[in-house]
Amino acid sequence: QDRTVEGTVVGSDGTPLPGANVIVKGTTRGVQTDADGKFVLQVAASDVLLFSYIGYKSIEVPVGSQSTITATLEDDEGKLEEIVVTALGISKEKKSLGYTVQEVKSNQLSEARENNLVNALSGKVAGVRVTNSQGNLGSSRIVIRGETSIAGNNQPLFVVDGLPVDNSQLTKSDASRDFPNAISDINTEDIESISVLKGPNAAALYGSRAANGVIIINTKKGRAGKRGLGIAVTSGVTFERLLVLPDYQNVYGQGAGGEFSYVDGKGGGVNDGVDESWGPKMDGRLIPQFYSNGEAVPFLPHPDNVKDFFVTGHTINNGVAISGAKEGFDYRFSYNNSRQKGVVPNTDQTKNSFSVNASYTLHPKVTLSTSANFIRTESDNLPGTFGKRSTSTMLQFTWFGRQVDINRLKDYKDADGNTFNWNNSYYSNPYWVAYENTVGQRRDRFFGNVNLNYKIVEGLTANFRTGNDLYNDRRKIRIAYGTNGTPFGSYQEIGYAVNENNTQFTLNYKKDITPDFNVDVLGGANYQYRFQEENNQFAPRLAVKGVYTLNNSRDPLQSTNFYSRQKIYSLFASGQVGFRNYAFLNLTARNDWSSTLPSNNNSYFYPSVNASVVLSEALGFASNTVSFVKVRAGWSKVGKDADPYQLINTYPFSVPFGSSPRLTVSDKYLNADLKPETTTSTEAGVEASFLDDRINVDASYYFTRSKDQILNVDVSPSTGYTSKLINAGEIENRGVELQLTGVPVITPAGFRWEVSVNWAKNVSKVVELDKEGFLQSYRLGSDGVEVRAGVGEPYGVLFGSGFLRNAQGQIVVSADGTPAIDPSNKVLGRFTPNWIGGINNAVSYKGVSLSFLVDVRMGGQIYSGTRSTGLQTGVLAETLNGRDAEHGGLPYYFAGDDTGTTPVALADHNASAPNGEIVYHDGILFNGVTADGSPNTTIAPAPLYYKTLAVNGEYNTFDATFVKLREVKLGYTIPSSLTQRVGLQSATVSLVGRNLWIIHKDAPHIDPETALSTSNAQGLEDLQLPTTRSYGFNITLNF
Amino acid sequence: CGDDLTDTNVNPNEALHPQPDYLLTNAIKASVDTYWGVDNNMNSTLLFVQHLAKIQYTDPDRYRYTNTSFESTWKGFYSVGLADLAEITTLAEESGNDNYKGVALILRSWLFASLTDLYGAVPYRYAIQITDQLAPAYDGQDVVYGGILDDLKTAVELLDPEGDAIAGDILYNGNIANWIKFGNALRLRYALRIADQAEDKAREVITDLQGEPIISSNDELARLVYASSPNQNPIALNFETRNDYRVSRTMVETLRTLSDPRLPVFASPTEATTPEVYIGVPNGLTNDAASDLGLTKTSKPGSYFLRSDAPGVVLSYSEVLFNLAEAVEREFMTGDAEALYEQAITASLQQFGVTNTTVIDDYLDQPAVQYNAANYRESIGTQKWIALFGQGPEAFSEWRRLDYPQLTPAVNGVLAGKIPVRFIYPGSEQSLNGKSYRDAVNVQGTDALTTRLWFDKQ
Repeated sequence: QDRTVEGTVVGSDGTPLPGANVIVKGTTRGVQTDADGKFVLQVAASDVLLFSYIGYKSIEVPVGSQSTITATLEDDEGKLEEIVVTALGISKEKKSLGYTVQEVKSNQLSEARENNLVNALSGKVAGVRVTNSQGNLGSSRIVIRGETSIAGNNQPLFVVDGLPVDNSQLTKSDASRDFPNAISDINTEDIESISVLKGPNAAALYGSRAANGVIIINTKKGRAGKRGLGIAVTSGVTFERLLVLPDYQNVYGQGAGGEFSYVDGKGGGVNDGVDESWGPKMDGRLIPQFYSNGEAVPFLPHPDNVKDFFVTGHTINNGVAISGAKEGFDYRFSYNNSRQKGVVPNTDQTKNSFSVNASYTLHPKVTLSTSANFIRTESDNLPGTFGKRSTSTMLQFTWFGRQVDINRLKDYKDADGNTFNWNNSYYSNPYWVAYENTVGQRRDRFFGNVNLNYKIVEGLTANFRTGNDLYNDRRKIRIAYGTNGTPFGSYQEIGYAVNENNTQFTLNYKKDITPDFNVDVLGGANYQYRFQEENNQFAPRLAVKGVYTLNNSRDPLQSTNFYSRQKIYSLFASGQVGFRNYAFLNLTARNDWSSTLPSNNNSYFYPSVNASVVLSEALGFASNTVSFVKVRAGWSKVGKDADPYQLINTYPFSVPFGSSPRLTVSDKYLNADLKPETTTSTEAGVEASFLDDRINVDASYYFTRSKDQILNVDVSPSTGYTSKLINAGEIENRGVELQLTGVPVITPAGFRWEVSVNWAKNVSKVVELDKEGFLQSYRLGSDGVEVRAGVGEPYGVLFGSGFLRNAQGQIVVSADGTPAIDPSNKVLGRFTPNWIGGINNAVSYKGVSLSFLVDVRMGGQIYSGTRSTGLQTGVLAETLNGRDAEHGGLPYYFAGDDTGTTPVALADHNASAPNGEIVYHDGILFNGVTADGSPNTTIAPAPLYYKTLAVNGEYNTFDATFVKLREVKLGYTIPSSLTQRVGLQSATVSLVGRNLWIIHKDAPHIDPETALSTSNAQGLEDLQLPTTRSYGFNITLNF
Repeated sequence: CGDDLTDTNVNPNEALHPQPDYLLTNAIKASVDTYWGVDNNMNSTLLFVQHLAKIQYTDPDRYRYTNTSFESTWKGFYSVGLADLAEITTLAEESGNDNYKGVALILRSWLFASLTDLYGAVPYRYAIQITDQLAPAYDGQDVVYGGILDDLKTAVELLDPEGDAIAGDILYNGNIANWIKFGNALRLRYALRIADQAEDKAREVITDLQGEPIISSNDELARLVYASSPNQNPIALNFETRNDYRVSRTMVETLRTLSDPRLPVFASPTEATTPEVYIGVPNGLTNDAASDLGLTKTSKPGSYFLRSDAPGVVLSYSEVLFNLAEAVEREFMTGDAEALYEQAITASLQQFGVTNTTVIDDYLDQPAVQYNAANYRESIGTQKWIALFGQGPEAFSEWRRLDYPQLTPAVNGVLAGKIPVRFIYPGSEQSLNGKSYRDAVNVQGTDALTTRLWFDKQ
């Protein structure tokens, strides 16, 4: 071990690979190649060198007597990587880890062309659950291995190039927009790889926020092309269309009791203020309508009147990356521009991102590297979501008269600038809403870091790193003069500033103690400082129309501010002991001091331990049939602090009354004795490869328990407060994850078919909420039904109204013949699925590749506000059942035409009533029983029947299962013999489709994969924007 | 780094130390907002007493409520108004300012009375003590009203116009003499409230009130004069964006029959021209039937109530006079009941801008208006019901107590021909304060809209 070997690592095309790992097998000793792919290493003749590089197959080369080694690495499309990036950006041999790490590579992300990075992970990583909130311009939620915090954030920590970046969804419900979560800023073209560290096992070194797992993003580094300069150009276009719209009925139009006639759209005519479709049959009868100036015109259905409002969205993406390397210096610069038009008219988003990565060897022992990213995400108008009348999209359409011709609403303003609409009681013209009531957003973001690495002596390295993530996010919310419900309009500006700094120093020592034992020890300190500011200015009524400034206000501006800051000091250490390169023991420890906890509780310590043994090597049974078997196990604990300012009661301000300022006692009683939340996790797993690595299996079992949760629990207002902060609550999660990769077919001619499957099941249980047992449930949110964490129940139960049933389970009807609602609310389901999984098939032959990903979420429930509202309004297809004789309605009359009495059934539709009363044909006889158990004989008129069902939570809760064709990619790499003639190193074209087909679902009218926001209140659909499918074309050129 | 971390966590957004004047402004504003606001007034009590009716979303007008319908009253009075007043009391005890203490005690009494008037038994003795009582027991109405009457006496005694000044008083602008008059007017009100059940206590309080200062002109009304946005009157605020309420047909037709000059004040002319000019809406129609009447062919409340600066009245001079008339009739005190009754009506007419003495005299001369000592409950009940237009909670309490005017229940009501006689408790009490809730219901009777309260003797 006293000889020097030099060498070069190159790809199969001869390109040098800078940053490739060269490790002496069985040790942690090694180097990375420099910018020219070269390395120098002290070796002994008996050593075997392990060469690896992300995206390439690793190889082993015995040193023997060689003094120069050229290692040629082949591209690897499928095999699990040997070397993975773990906590603090440290690359480790995967087999040395006692926990699960799963990687997603750059081409799996960039080709997908997902505007939100989080979505691109869906179906690709076992145990990762992604929920796209609404439409295609909004937020997405990601949870790994289930929810471990009852009330807090359950999303993983995102880390870019070794330092945390923010993924908040800063949202204000009064804007009625689904603002994108912050990580969606990141340009997928700049990502080299993503490692998903799933449990707190993997994450103890990142501190509190890693309790929910960590997503480690490594950006692309400088790499020399053949001429010392590499230029990559990417270009793509993607088109988007709606995936699902509700099924509407097209027989009855707007009105009530079968009658409608338009005068002013707000009650001046016959039922013209009614925004429901219980009106006349749309059989061409002549009725005055909103566009006809009192003239009676044919009353006809417009089946596509909702669909026709939406447009084809598109995204145009162009990017260029220049990279190069010289002796001691490498760099990469990239610029990417993406311009998106949404499926809702007049919505857009533009993203411009600049990124620089550079590394400079100041001295043979000192390397300085930096990464800097600037991203501007801008939107003139994000699509309207949620249920606010002045800004929503689907709210109005779920009340939209089925006879309304959307084309007649397109010119939404008259000559005087006033709007007109099919209904003026509740809504403004939908085009007016889209073009006038806009919400703009601009987020300017800088994140980056500086990293100084000093190799003090062989085996001992010091590293200093400091990084910042800073963004300003500004929103401008306009409601135009003349908008229904806001006659003077309004204007609001919201500004956020978020900054997080992490500064970290580490010292790393690696040593082979004996030929059999090696150690790798790391110690460090971290300082984290975060601040967030919010400034909100609101002009509730404009003075002059059409001018959107804060000065243009009739009233005093309403202003609020919020500032928060927090600090955490940390010390941490980790150690690995390796034995003969097949047995490894890892230990970590960290102590945090957080500003958000009281001084006597603000220090908390958390350790972890894990181990792995490569049985195939230890027991020496490796063969072509069973090529690799590894077992692993680990235990870890993570502490978590509180949000800022949760200790001492303070007094919030209210808007002054005239010149009198106002202060009030806060609603929330804080807790001066908070202690940190704790999550402990135990994990065990097996990794194995068979048939010459043709089949790879990775299975994990984990158990997580989180206690001392910080909960803001509701208390009776008669205490003087509506909530109280307590430090209790315990939740358990346990689950299994499987990953399976197989290559069923591979031929010498270059044909390859690879299948990868991932599957995960998580079971959660809320063990307790408070020590006294006073609390039985905690409300996570509600919309139609409540989402709660109830003691003894799984996390995220849907709780609401349901049918009243007797002891025999029969549904009881009320006196009016409609199914009765049980006065006690009940459990209707839960939002978490039974299991989730994905299957990807990839076939390649020479330059052509085809892959398709099927994403499955089995079980779980969702409450549908669209269904509830649509039953109320009579627009949905199922509300036709029983509406008339043709659709199975029963004949009846009211004695003396008194509609307050119980309907009297008639024998047939031609029968007349005894005293010449009006005969109705929309009777429904519900198959239930009366209170005494006898069969129901009372007919209910269809509108009454459906409106009763509309408020029944159970009836509108559905199985949320879906099977989706998530992604199809067809790629072609043009042969290099052709590309080189035009001076290209490589050229790739691809066709990509996303969310093309919902193969199976149970919930009618909606895509069950939807959410109101990224909060913990999942499983609620309430008139959200429909999801989209997209298909596009990409081209990538390398010069 | 201990101090550094502690300093970092000092909340810069909110006041660390409260001031009594700023708390007082908030307590008054927030409480009158709740009292006069949608859930406590327009969408409940004003419908029960048929001052207003609904033309859209008519479920409440048919007495269809859920167990969250009455949550905002409970929350507003307890966790805002009473919590702020408790803080003022603490501060006043520290500084020795008895006027703050007295004012806080008067407002506290009014809020507790408003709660018990509506719900019946409520947390009272154990309320607003979160550190000791996380699940406060409820007290029966006898305990609550008794405590309130004692507290009001204490409060009036604490107040001293020559004492320390108070600020932030948006009800009386720091005029302690008026607070004394308001406190005594409340004593009169709640003494009569329990007169059917606890006559001796009522007599004792009213006897004690003899010669004490009490609200004695329309300039001394206890009312919050609202301003422009964002401090507009809650009814005005509702009508800025909603169009759900109309004047009840019961009120419009009663006023029309009496040729009452307050009709044009209480009701707006229909938007579309109609021969009747003022058209009320029957209470408790179905949505379809209400919609058929037409938004433009029915009367909204008068502009007096729709102005953003319309007052939110807590206690009026006319109410004091009606109460004095009743106290005389019940022989709790001496005086001329009929004269007081006529003065009460006059004060109400003047309050609503009817000042022409001929008009007033003509009105009073009508047989249907003249005082009938043989059935004072009908005379006082009917005229008080009119005079309290818009002030739903008080109109509701007095209608229940006096049993006049006799109202016909909602057309399509769901209470089997009955009108609600209380609020149901917020559903959240069942989960958050379950044992206390169940204990209270066991004593008081089913938690239903139709369960008669203690003060409301049959």
